[in-house]
Amino acid sequence: MPKRRDVVAIVLIALPWMLLISVWHQSNITSVLTAQKEVYIHVLNIYQNSDTIGGRSDSRALKESSSLQSRDIVHVVRTEYIYSRPPPWSQSLPTLHIITPTYSRPVQKAELTRLANTLLHVSNLHWIVVEDSQRRTTLVSHFLQEKGLNYTHLNILTPMTYKSRGDGRNPRVPRGTLQRNLALRWLRETFPLNYSQPGVVYFADDDNTYSLQLFEEMRSTKKVSVWPVAFVGGLRYESPKINALGKVYGWKTVFDPHRPFGIDMAGFAVNLGLILSKPQAYFKLRGVKGGYQESSLLRELVTLSELEPKASNCTKVLVWHTRTEKPVLVNEGKKGFTDSNVEI
Amino acid sequence: MKLKLKTVFVLYFMVSLMGLIYALMQLGQHCDCAEHDLPKDRAISRLQEELYRLQGQIRQLEKAKQPEKKQPPKSSLSTIFVITPTYARLVQKAELTRLSQTFLHVPQLHWILVEDSPRKTPLVSNFLMKSGLTYTHLNVPTAKERKLQEGDPSWLKPRGVEQRNEGLRWLREDRKTEPGDNGQQGVVYFADDDNTYSLQLFEEMRRTQRVSVWPVGLVGGMKFESPVVEGGKVVRFHTGWRPSRPFPMDMAGFAVSLQLVLANPDACFDGEAPMGFLESSLLKGLVTADELEPKADNCTKVLVWHTRTEKPKMKREEALQVQGLGSDPAVEV
Repeated sequence: MPKRRDVVAIVLIALPWMLLISVWHQSNITSVLTAQKEVYIHVLNIYQNSDTIGGRSDSRALKESSSLQSRDIVHVVRTEYIYSRPPPWSQSLPTLHIITPTYSRPVQKAELTRLANTLLHVSNLHWIVVEDSQRRTTLVSHFLQEKGLNYTHLNILTPMTYKSRGDGRNPRVPRGTLQRNLALRWLRETFPLNYSQPGVVYFADDDNTYSLQLFEEMRSTKKVSVWPVAFVGGLRYESPKINALGKVYGWKTVFDPHRPFGIDMAGFAVNLGLILSKPQAYFKLRGVKGGYQESSLLRELVTLSELEPKASNCTKVLVWHTRTEKPVLVNEGKKGFTDSNVEI
Repeated sequence: MKLKLKTVFVLYFMVSLMGLIYALMQLGQHCDCAEHDLPKDRAISRLQEELYRLQGQIRQLEKAKQPEKKQPPKSSLSTIFVITPTYARLVQKAELTRLSQTFLHVPQLHWILVEDSPRKTPLVSNFLMKSGLTYTHLNVPTAKERKLQEGDPSWLKPRGVEQRNEGLRWLREDRKTEPGDNGQQGVVYFADDDNTYSLQLFEEMRRTQRVSVWPVGLVGGMKFESPVVEGGKVVRFHTGWRPSRPFPMDMAGFAVSLQLVLANPDACFDGEAPMGFLESSLLKGLVTADELEPKADNCTKVLVWHTRTEKPKMKREEALQVQGLGSDPAVEV
């Protein structure tokens, strides 16, 4: 029957296309839905009862209902929460590897304390603390153990020759260079080249101030992301120049704006995969002009046009390059007035 | 004719089938299309921001609701009232940010932030709204003759006196509206915005009966200043500077129980007191030295540091501003 054949033919043609279109749509929708759901679950985990937080006999966390709505996703009602432990690890968020070089001085424990208090709020964080010392000090070891953060404790001593003031033969190596390079090497030795878990590497000095939003902004780094930093270069803030296409084309700075990367250490983050894929990229030790340290690493990793601007197209300040005053210790005298067994 | 059409149809069918199979294969692969990921990530960071904002809002709503509801105490913890004077300068937002990040870990903490300003500034108001903390925002300007001028060293005039007294005044007013025993339970602590506090400190001060004391690091020209404890009582003070003061301690080295503050409605800081006697001017009206409660393991551990933040160098900014090319003042730092 010609009619039946025609019908069969039409069905045979239409069916695969319909299947194709429906499957294609569904794949898009489900991936977006899972992302939203994961954020919702992540939010839920933050407020979970402190079953996961051990050892605190006082206040219990009470967490109430959250509902997922179409537009404003989170609708959280909660009465009290307490956490002095990091948020539970989330399967979907990229890990932030925060590299902090540190060295012994009177304010060291104070600086690390307030930095740790900040980092305790950030999910999926891995803190790499690198001491400038011959051996890992007990101060830092105990401190890291007590804080409960996910950490790695390394150390490398900067030789005295590197520390001396610049002259022809021994130009001064910027502080923290050897320590940051050691951390990069540790990352490359620990994670294989084709490591599938996404990660972001950030260099956080122990005296700066970081807002929590900064860490969320850097999580989505594909190669290298950049943002403004306050109190550097003798300005209120330095920032990358963004053109109408949302790409970086220059640096809004007074101090040598023609540097390849006129940005402070706290102003950029690198994707872990990029670090692993370029194993020869390190901070240059010698012969680096003041202000060119960051460029010495970044020029091996990205070009200017590949930079990703964050912080609302580099219009918000989320990190401040604060410096702590050296405390006046005149009353200690020669022999030390205070009990040296008390750790500060 | 018929034959040709049939082959066309068959061909068409085969092509469609192959296309479908190809699409199904693509489904399992990792999609690295930027247009798909970017909205997702943006959505996630936007949601996180919303989250923090909502946290702050909810805390505010709960605080507003509380006087009406007759709730059982949410926890058996007494509230720590932290009074912080602050003033506008470049590093203000940074200092408040990292201070709030510490406070967010402390349960039952009520932050009383008092600005040295004739009006509440939008910077501080917005900051507090987003902070997620339970707070009270006050302001009182310091009289001109009491204020430090540009070139003055920091020790010349006492700072934050009016602001701390305003905090105490508000607290006393507020507690009058809070009937019952629970409203009178609490601890009052004076926290400057540039110091560093460990989380353990707040737990130590919670059980203050009258006035508790502990060592403070990096103050008084020494690694730390501390009360000296013998037999569980404070017998003297270990300090390198003017140990003859009645209470030779730093502002960060003691906490007062709320009951004591309410029981002595006239006790406040005396701005006319000589340098270093500010703390004593409050404490001498409240306790005697032997009534002090030592904390921090009989005053052997340092849980708070008197850090100070450098003033950022603004030479280039100033030079630019003279030319009219200063950085965008609309961007809040």
